[in-house]
Amino acid sequence: MNDKLPLIEVVDLHKVYGELHALNGISEKIYPGEVVVVIGPSGSGKSTFLRSLNLLEVPDKGQVLFEGVDITDKKVNIDAHRQRMGMVFQHFNLFPHKTILENITLGPIKLKGLSKEEAEKQGLDLLRRVGLEDKATTYPAKLSGGQKQRIAIVRALAMEPDVMLFDEPTSALDPEMVGEVLELMKELAREGMTMAVVTHEIGFAKEVATRVIFMDEGQIKEQGEPEGFFGSPKEPRLQDFLSKVL
Amino acid sequence: MGERLYDALIDGGGYKYIISGLGNTLFITFFAVLIGILIGFIVAMVRATYDRTGKGFLPDLICRIYLTVVRGTPVVLQLMIIFYVVFASVNIPKVLAAIIAFGLNSGAYVAEIFRSGIMAVDAGQFEAGRSLGFTYSQTMRLIIMPQAFKNVLPALCNEFIVLLKETSVAGYIALQDLTRGADIIRSQTYDAFPPLIIAAAIYLVMVVIFTKLVSILERRLRSNER
Repeated sequence: MNDKLPLIEVVDLHKVYGELHALNGISEKIYPGEVVVVIGPSGSGKSTFLRSLNLLEVPDKGQVLFEGVDITDKKVNIDAHRQRMGMVFQHFNLFPHKTILENITLGPIKLKGLSKEEAEKQGLDLLRRVGLEDKATTYPAKLSGGQKQRIAIVRALAMEPDVMLFDEPTSALDPEMVGEVLELMKELAREGMTMAVVTHEIGFAKEVATRVIFMDEGQIKEQGEPEGFFGSPKEPRLQDFLSKVL
Repeated sequence: MGERLYDALIDGGGYKYIISGLGNTLFITFFAVLIGILIGFIVAMVRATYDRTGKGFLPDLICRIYLTVVRGTPVVLQLMIIFYVVFASVNIPKVLAAIIAFGLNSGAYVAEIFRSGIMAVDAGQFEAGRSLGFTYSQTMRLIIMPQAFKNVLPALCNEFIVLLKETSVAGYIALQDLTRGADIIRSQTYDAFPPLIIAAAIYLVMVVIFTKLVSILERRLRSNER
């Protein structure tokens, strides 16, 4: 794995909100093809970490290198880099005033210069893949949570990103809808998509992750491949955390 | 009653005052609304950008001063100051002065309506737009503004109703709008009831029609989301 260049590299990230040191010196590398799952108690900084990878959170200190380019540099065109980093949110954030197909094609048409026909063809292919092609002309308000989240994933995929960031993608879902979203994420992982996932789904981490990271108090306390990570955790905080969630 | 109406409108040509007054009222309102939307949009963007990103302190400060002054003083005085003070040395048409005054006035209220609409759109919408790679202004234009517009349509409609009726103070600069026209008839016929009630009825009918149109538009905009 380490013969490749990292896709994302963060160097000594710090982020402070008033009293809270949300990120306290995070350095980490994510390599192409990796599925990195970040777990940790709430307030551990795991979402802040993920959101700083595409600079939705601007770190107070430190660097984020995406494909070798320091995107925290003010001179860098962050929008161009974000086009290659898909992001999926806890609350889906579909555009309520646009149809499902328009949600998916907006980015490709406006940002990648695809014609409407090309973008719609691609969008319909993606919809077919997740079994929602019959929803193309409906509006997000008509969909279930699980459907919304699958559309949100498809919307990000339509930009053909090099990495997908998932910020607690199943936390706002009813339990019976979690499966369909995780299934799609597993499929992406199998296809070799590089993924960084903040989640509470330990089962997903065990099954799909190539690497699991445990964060607490704004720091990475422990990490490793799922087997060793869950089988024989070393850090007492992680042991304590796992005893509560498993 | 019929005779009093006849005296007021036909005999002595009172209807001409009503018709030309109505024309002025509509003319002033229409262009004041356009100016109000333009100013309101710009001010709202400056203020929302500062609220969201912390950028543009000075433009935001200028906008806040404008809002404070306009909302803190009566529109009649603003109108008189524009006409008798600001344009004292230049001879501009009264209608133009009124359009400028009412437009400037309305812009302040429209700005705050737009801004509240922008701020009411979920922050996640903004993040979703930016995460796809849209610039700040693309996100505003393609994702935030269409939703904000829907949010504020009722408040915006209300503001234009207020504006239509507020133009009735244009008589203070001796401009013959609908209200002033009715008042002239009153002073000529020595009968206040017919002209004033007629003018009031005309305002009422215009407001009712306008409200109806907006509610149709609103329903159409909403229907596609369900």
